[in-house]
Amino acid sequence: MPMRQPRLLRSTTFHTALIVAAAFALFIIVLFGFIYGRVEHYLTVRSDAVITAHIDGLVGLSPELRRAAVDERLKQDPREVQIVAIFDADGRRITGNLNRVPPGLRIDGPAQSTVIPKDDPKDSKTRVVRAIARRMADGNILVVGRDVDEAKEISMVVGEAIALGLLPGFCLCLLAGAWLSMRADKRIADISERVQRIVAGELRERLPYGSDSEPFSKLAIIVNGMLDEMETLIHALEGVGNDIAHDLRTPLTRARLILERGRDHASSLEELQGAVDKAVAGIDQSLSIITALLRLAEIENSGRSAGFGEVVLGEMLREIFDMYEPIAEGKDITITTSSSHSLSVYGDRDLLMEALANLVDNAIKFTPEGGRVELALLRSGGNIILRVTDTGAGIAEAERESVLRRFYRSDKIRNTPGTGLGLSLVAAIVKLHGFRLFIYSGPGGRIEIHCPVKLSRHDRQQARSGSEPDVRLMLDRAS
Amino acid sequence: MARVLLIEDDWETAEVITAELSDRNFEVEWAADGIAGLERARALRPDAMIVDRLLPGMDGLAIIETLRNELVRTPVLVLSALGAVNDRVRGLRIGGDDYLTKPFAIVELIARVEALLRRPSETRETTLCVGTLQLDLIERRAKRGERTIDLLPREFRLLEYMMQHCDQLLTRAMLLEEVWHYKFVPATNLVDVHMGRLRHKVDGPSEPPMIHSIRGSGFILRTPS
Repeated sequence: MPMRQPRLLRSTTFHTALIVAAAFALFIIVLFGFIYGRVEHYLTVRSDAVITAHIDGLVGLSPELRRAAVDERLKQDPREVQIVAIFDADGRRITGNLNRVPPGLRIDGPAQSTVIPKDDPKDSKTRVVRAIARRMADGNILVVGRDVDEAKEISMVVGEAIALGLLPGFCLCLLAGAWLSMRADKRIADISERVQRIVAGELRERLPYGSDSEPFSKLAIIVNGMLDEMETLIHALEGVGNDIAHDLRTPLTRARLILERGRDHASSLEELQGAVDKAVAGIDQSLSIITALLRLAEIENSGRSAGFGEVVLGEMLREIFDMYEPIAEGKDITITTSSSHSLSVYGDRDLLMEALANLVDNAIKFTPEGGRVELALLRSGGNIILRVTDTGAGIAEAERESVLRRFYRSDKIRNTPGTGLGLSLVAAIVKLHGFRLFIYSGPGGRIEIHCPVKLSRHDRQQARSGSEPDVRLMLDRAS
Repeated sequence: MARVLLIEDDWETAEVITAELSDRNFEVEWAADGIAGLERARALRPDAMIVDRLLPGMDGLAIIETLRNELVRTPVLVLSALGAVNDRVRGLRIGGDDYLTKPFAIVELIARVEALLRRPSETRETTLCVGTLQLDLIERRAKRGERTIDLLPREFRLLEYMMQHCDQLLTRAMLLEEVWHYKFVPATNLVDVHMGRLRHKVDGPSEPPMIHSIRGSGFILRTPS
């Protein structure tokens, strides 16, 4: 594969493998060096102990016995590992396997490394030994030593082991690196191909994954989850887009038809003005929908905390009551409020007013004549509850989720005026505050806003980002 | 004749506004960009200004800020296509006197310009009088001639505002903002219901009406002729 080679060599994974292999080799070399050092040290210490014990034994003997012991010992050492010799005070050899006292050897010092000079021209190498020299009572010098050639042998063995083990290890590392690199490349190529298809609009495409424990698979599963979410959102948006188009086009179409008809058929100025007024009303309805949509977007996207402060709920309830009482009266609806508590929350007064006004507006709108609307402020557990109840039809079980959808208008109320965005707006305001909206199913409408008491700034942020739903659809209807 | 300076970059909008204001006997000067607008404002010393929020050359709010720093107190109505609540707050904080979101009804604009030009002077009067209608702000009592009118607190507030702005067209949006401090437009026609009740109390069956609705626009409290 001529194309494969350069790409493999350029791949980051392969470079990493190369670095790891080099580090591995370095580590092995250092490790073997350390083992060698330790072994040599151990051997030296051991031979020092042996020769010290030996010389101590010889020193304790009488001169005759010592000579005999030296000769005996040399006889028993065919490998010539041992060095034993006695010299007279002038340095002449009396007996032993050394010709003279080694020049660097300190008399009466501790065991030390010393070089035995070459005497025999046949002997090509100088020997390095551990040796001790002692001057004895009779003035003679006793030298005891031991060849430590084993250390060199060990270093050779170690060197061979490195040569034998390191090269295959290094190659193995490189091979593993190359394999991993190729595998990763293949998967990335696969993923990027699929991602490109998703970017091109193929929203059903998903990333491949194997077992759950593998990092690539974990990532793919997360990305797939994200794609699922996005797909749902995009479909929802498409739905909203259609709803917007429908709700905006209907009044605009009406306006257009009225204007055209007015231009062609109006026989008097009054008729024309009437047509224009109707058309303007149609345009105004479209505009009010646009305004509501923009407002919804504004509330949903802002962390609008500039207007936040202490809001006395009882006072707010009173104002809403004041505002809507004549409207309720006009429809022969009894509206009552119970807000004796001096409860307050941290929030944006204008927005909370808007939310509550929306709920009361809805309650009055959907309650038949002679009915009742009740505004209540109460405290229950850790919550301050704003409750709006009415004796209208309420929200049917099946419709409770839909009412929060933008532009949703129940078929029963198709002809009641409104933008169909009221409850979406309420939900957005409630969410912004970190409060929760509870919608109970009918008969009889009941909606509650639950405000946790003493909600600090931190708590509010948590509530907003938390996974707990901000809107609860209550199955059980409290009596 | 009041002189109004209009700073608006869309010439068609400017043309309609100019024509409408001229019809109502305003003298209108028009500037199409921010820098020219600021120069005109300095040179002309208009009685009121209508300033678009986004302008070429210089931002509408920057013009107001500059003028306010020069201690020019000319009342300003800010026009904006940005309807965001925060934007409105900013516009008013910087020195705008009123704020109108595009698109707007022309009557709304005229009513607001007139309100700016006739802002009530800060009097220390404790009784407001329009014709025979009297409102005692201390005793919280209302009388029309010899007839005492019983008003609920909310009705009192509404009448007080209308008497302070008598003979001026007050649109529903203006009343919601000023009397009820609503920063949003409610779905139901709240203002009409409240106004209906107030009118019922103020204008007796045999009395000449004082509260007039102007179709499609708003309400006026007029001195009966």
